[in-house]
Amino acid sequence: MEMIACTGLQKSFGSLEVLKGVDFSVNKGDVIAVIGPSGSGKSTMLRCLIDLEHATGGTIVIQGEPLVTDGAYVPEAQRKAVTAKMGMVFQHFNLFPHLTVRQNLELAPKLVKKMDKDEIRANSTKYLEKVGLSDKADAYPDNLSGGQQQRVAIARALMMNPDILLFDEPTSALDPELTGGVLETIRQLAEEHMTMMVVTHEMAFAKEVANTVLFMDSGKILESGAPEQVFVSPKEPRTREFLSKISK
Amino acid sequence: MDFQYMFQILPPILSGAVTTLLLFGLVILVSIPLGFIVTLLVRSKIPPIRWIANAYIFVMRGTPLLLQLIFIFYGFPIIGNALAETFHSDFFRELFQMERFNAAFLGFTLNYAAYFAEIFRGGLLAIDKGQYEAAKVLGFSRPATIFHIICPQMIRVALPSVANETITLIKDTSLLYAVAIPEIIDVAKSIVNRDSTVVPLILAAAVYLVLILILTLVFKWLERRFNHSK
Repeated sequence: MEMIACTGLQKSFGSLEVLKGVDFSVNKGDVIAVIGPSGSGKSTMLRCLIDLEHATGGTIVIQGEPLVTDGAYVPEAQRKAVTAKMGMVFQHFNLFPHLTVRQNLELAPKLVKKMDKDEIRANSTKYLEKVGLSDKADAYPDNLSGGQQQRVAIARALMMNPDILLFDEPTSALDPELTGGVLETIRQLAEEHMTMMVVTHEMAFAKEVANTVLFMDSGKILESGAPEQVFVSPKEPRTREFLSKISK
Repeated sequence: MDFQYMFQILPPILSGAVTTLLLFGLVILVSIPLGFIVTLLVRSKIPPIRWIANAYIFVMRGTPLLLQLIFIFYGFPIIGNALAETFHSDFFRELFQMERFNAAFLGFTLNYAAYFAEIFRGGLLAIDKGQYEAAKVLGFSRPATIFHIICPQMIRVALPSVANETITLIKDTSLLYAVAIPEIIDVAKSIVNRDSTVVPLILAAAVYLVLILILTLVFKWLERRFNHSK
């Protein structure tokens, strides 16, 4: 089944056109790396999918359920339901600083899903172990490194049992030596066939983990394909130019 | 130092302090929640609600508390009488004629709520929009976001300013003299007049200092409780 189908997606901020008709689809188990120069609309596209930005045109269908059809959104309650099966990991983590790591993980399942207490506790223990932070359960986010905070953010997203995970430049705010743990966690999720879209500047990582690479420039997807193809023999001159610039 | 004299004049001064503390406690209890409601109204999506809330803050901060107290205690009954005559109903007369303490409570609460509203608004501005976004993608409802995510962080940012305002309130209670309610300074001054000594004034100062020391310690403790970076 198509997890995400996006056609003609448009987004303008005032007179500034950020997305000029973006088409793509995501199948179950896909790991899609979105690359491109800054300002090309990568993050905006991702944010439209999970309803953090209001698309000005186009259609987004999530697991068969429309979020927006030709620029017309479904009602509020339905928007929540459609986006509920997606999780998002932000560039700046956005952990709740007044809550411990474990509380960060457990608050949404408790309040939103109203899950059983023991089940929530079992899940938070499981996901903290998965991201290698069992010993930090009672720490506050401010006392963790950026890499650790981002892994907590991934665990927090996993607590809601998402079918799709969206990553908005998950390692861009990290010191280079801290990116490894975060990328390793994403790689592990890919091995478990989690459907993911990752906006990233980590080309080596994109090449290794993604099965599809989307290259965006000036609000459009200029090129898409398997990583071997996009990275080794890009068709578009803009893609070639971008790749040669960042490999310097 | 004449300790016997001090023990003799301490009870009347402390009874003035009781009035101060009673007013202080009631005003804090009501004006902080009221201030938060005003903050939410200022941020309302409906323009007229925003205008009214902003006008309220402007008037409360833009005129002296002393004038507001005098207006409520001495001015309101005049308005009440006029309304009663216009509408031939005693209802307005009774509504606008308040006991001294009630008038003071109303004036202080309305005034301090406006200041607290501005403090809380500042606290909300300090919260990163990423917090709202994280709450949204996790599916939190709007009330759950405000109550569980935003408020605890806002309180942490606002606490030093709230402490400041609270200390000011303790000292502002001396304005009770405007509606002729005896409080610490009032009592001390009448003893000065009677006995020709500065001791009552020093005692009055000591009472204020003790009250404010206690408040300071309470707020230090609260700040530690809300600080999670250490």
